[in-house]
Amino acid sequence: MGGKSKARFKLSLIALLALSFTLSGCGGNNKTNSESKGNTATATAAANSDSSKVEPFDISVFIGQAGQQPTPDNKIYKKIKDELGATFNYEYLAGDLNQKLGVMIAGQDYPDVMTGNTKLTAAGAYIPLEDLIEQHAPNLKAHYADYWNMMKDPNDGHIYILPNYGVYNGKVNSTYYSGPAFWIQKAILKEFGYPKVKTLDEYFDLIAKYKEKYPTIDGSPTIGFEILNNDWRNWGLFNAPQHLIGHPNDGGVVVKDGVAEIFADKDYAKQYYQKLNEANELGLIDKETFVQNYDQYMAKLSSGTVLGMFDQHWNFGAAEDSLKTQKKDERTYVGLPLVFDTNTKDYYRDLPVLNLNNGFGISVNAKDPVKIIKLLDALMAEDWQKTLAWGIQGEDYEVNEKGRFIRTQEQRDNAVDSTWILANKAKTIVDFAPKLEGSYSDGNSTGADSQIEEYQAGLKPYDKEILDAYGFNSYVDFFSEPPANPVYYPAWSIDLVEGSEAKVVNTKLNDLSTKFLPKAILAEPAEFDSAWSEYVAQIGKVNVKAYEDKINEQIKWRIDKWSK
Amino acid sequence: MDETLARKKVVRHPKKPKKQPITWSIIKSQNQLIWMSVPLLFYIILFAYVPVWGWTMAFQNYRPGRPFSEQKWVGFDQFKFLLTDDNFLRVLRNTLAMGLINMILGFVTAIVLALLLNEIRKVFWKRTVQTISYLPHFLSWIIVTGIVATSLSINDGIINIVLMKLHLIREPILWLSEGKYFWGIVGASHVWKEVGWNTIIYLAAIASIDPALYEAAEIDGANRYKKMAFVTLPGIKATIVILLIMSVGHVLEAGFEVQYLLGNGLVVDWSETIDIFVLKYGIAQGNYSLATAGGIFKTVVSITLLLLANWTAKRLGEERLL
Repeated sequence: MGGKSKARFKLSLIALLALSFTLSGCGGNNKTNSESKGNTATATAAANSDSSKVEPFDISVFIGQAGQQPTPDNKIYKKIKDELGATFNYEYLAGDLNQKLGVMIAGQDYPDVMTGNTKLTAAGAYIPLEDLIEQHAPNLKAHYADYWNMMKDPNDGHIYILPNYGVYNGKVNSTYYSGPAFWIQKAILKEFGYPKVKTLDEYFDLIAKYKEKYPTIDGSPTIGFEILNNDWRNWGLFNAPQHLIGHPNDGGVVVKDGVAEIFADKDYAKQYYQKLNEANELGLIDKETFVQNYDQYMAKLSSGTVLGMFDQHWNFGAAEDSLKTQKKDERTYVGLPLVFDTNTKDYYRDLPVLNLNNGFGISVNAKDPVKIIKLLDALMAEDWQKTLAWGIQGEDYEVNEKGRFIRTQEQRDNAVDSTWILANKAKTIVDFAPKLEGSYSDGNSTGADSQIEEYQAGLKPYDKEILDAYGFNSYVDFFSEPPANPVYYPAWSIDLVEGSEAKVVNTKLNDLSTKFLPKAILAEPAEFDSAWSEYVAQIGKVNVKAYEDKINEQIKWRIDKWSK
Repeated sequence: MDETLARKKVVRHPKKPKKQPITWSIIKSQNQLIWMSVPLLFYIILFAYVPVWGWTMAFQNYRPGRPFSEQKWVGFDQFKFLLTDDNFLRVLRNTLAMGLINMILGFVTAIVLALLLNEIRKVFWKRTVQTISYLPHFLSWIIVTGIVATSLSINDGIINIVLMKLHLIREPILWLSEGKYFWGIVGASHVWKEVGWNTIIYLAAIASIDPALYEAAEIDGANRYKKMAFVTLPGIKATIVILLIMSVGHVLEAGFEVQYLLGNGLVVDWSETIDIFVLKYGIAQGNYSLATAGGIFKTVVSITLLLLANWTAKRLGEERLL
């Protein structure tokens, strides 16, 4: 009897629990509904710009890069949800991008919004945006007005992706150079009395001298020069020759008078790799350099033992951050625009170009594209742009009596604290959504990094010393002022089209360089020539013309379509 | 437990039960069994036979997102590209070599370890060794390759340190930069990761050997080595042969992650496998047709090898799979 009544008691308890859950669930819903309604009212009243009602809605987003989910109570996302109704559900890339895309494409399994990718474009995964923007997005239309033709897909003339970078408004201030250069530790420049380093030979001389003087740094052996060539991060090995003869970054080709040709097998490439071969003979190049992966490379840079490398700044930013946290400011790097001889003008720094095939596109599976485009349009309003880039006035930045945006030291520290960012910044939107760059209508820069006052206030004494010694405002001044971009520039953003011969050839060329260049660099100096001619002979076997033709065709196309 | 064993024996007694003609009465009497197998049958059809339809891709110039009727048929072009590429023979050689090395090393080490474990009398030690040896099985390759790369590094890599301390080498060797070491590194990594796991099935087979045989051998004066050679090994021979046949079919599955993650420009001639080649020139190019052709090639070779091994086993009068 006792057992029976016990069971009955348990059953009723479970029923009660279930009921209470349902009820509380209902209650919760009601609450959020009324809350969002209230917010709708305030938002429409405050903004008074959009007549449509703000209903809560979810947007699923695929980001083609690794990333971290913002915290659930993230300040900015909460504001977006309250005022615009949108909740972003991010899926960040885990693992290999191509593999992930293959699975997505094979299953036609797309979220509402995806970051730009030519594979997805080729698979017809995005919807054309021209009409949507014309009808629903006045801010975006004004923003992209000058770039409209450039944004069109070369294959069918539709706009699929909203470029996330490269659209400039107002005066462009720059204090940070993110592109390619030969990097050198600040300590070396200081050690040798702030020399002006212009040529490759001077660069390696400095590294050799410093390495001889300091065979170890903090107890670990000094590494002279690193060359990273791991998976898709191949520019460390491939790209330097074009810059050394005074060309900007065009990827695998050098464009002269509107005609592109590969440079991998040219004499100036040979000259560079021969120099590396000599440097290797002197023991300046890390023995493990061609064996390491990206993580190992970053670990070495973060240890402060690497004197120099050829790389793009954004690629090793994390290592510099780590060095700064370790208080090893003298081990961070200065970018040098090196050339073969002093008669050549350096052209590393370029005027920012439209970041084609990057940024958000709306997928064919999105249920309500109009809502999404309206949301992106709303975020383009200057107030929202300030919120996204600077944060909330009084919390994340202050405005001084001249109307300039500045931050306190605490706010500056917050802004580089990754945990703080997850809770207080919509980093993924800042990175991938369309944005204002340059300056706002009130003259402030669109980011703290390019606000001159901010930059100078944030300078460490060590950096100030170096910049003063050279008489520069920022490290960007090491580079020559860039000339106007050619219309077709840059060639590296040309879509070779999935499955085309040009793309296969490109892969083959990369395979050959990955295989033969390390061999040539590590060869005995006497054997360099034979290693090099083997490499050139192998390139000769590949249908390079198909690759060059495709690029030249696109360059012509760009000149035709993009010229104003 | 006892019941099922007893039943098995009963089933074994009739010499050739398969020859029995299938009649309605049999079907009727076994209808529950038949119904029980329906979901499995359905599962196999859905996941093993329906996808074979995708093989049609290999004969097309497949573009995703287009209906089947609009795909362009290209005959054997994809296979031609695959088989005539300069690198393909090299890639095939690497795949076969690493597959064979993995298979042979895997077998020998697993059987030896199983035999040795079987000889340990103290259960505590046996269990400890077994657990420790099979734990790496649960690590993913990305972690294992990280461990391997770190151990082989010239900066404080444990392999170089040990070899230096033993005075076997004078200065650290850059293991991952020499093609000739690569297959060995891959083989050794496989052994480290899988040896413990692979012994489990052999230990199970050893456990099922009739103890009376050991007693009889002991009475005949056999020592431990002799018992190992004349009782244990013949006792698990059937298991070994079956597993061998099955793994012959997997020789072309030499791996992808290890080679992809440990490989670099200096060893590419030894490290690239069919899977990597297909990834680079198929999937990464958006050329799913080529990737499918590569898959078909592998399947055909695997089935051929499997049938060949099975046939050989039959000729040698051994246990076989089919």
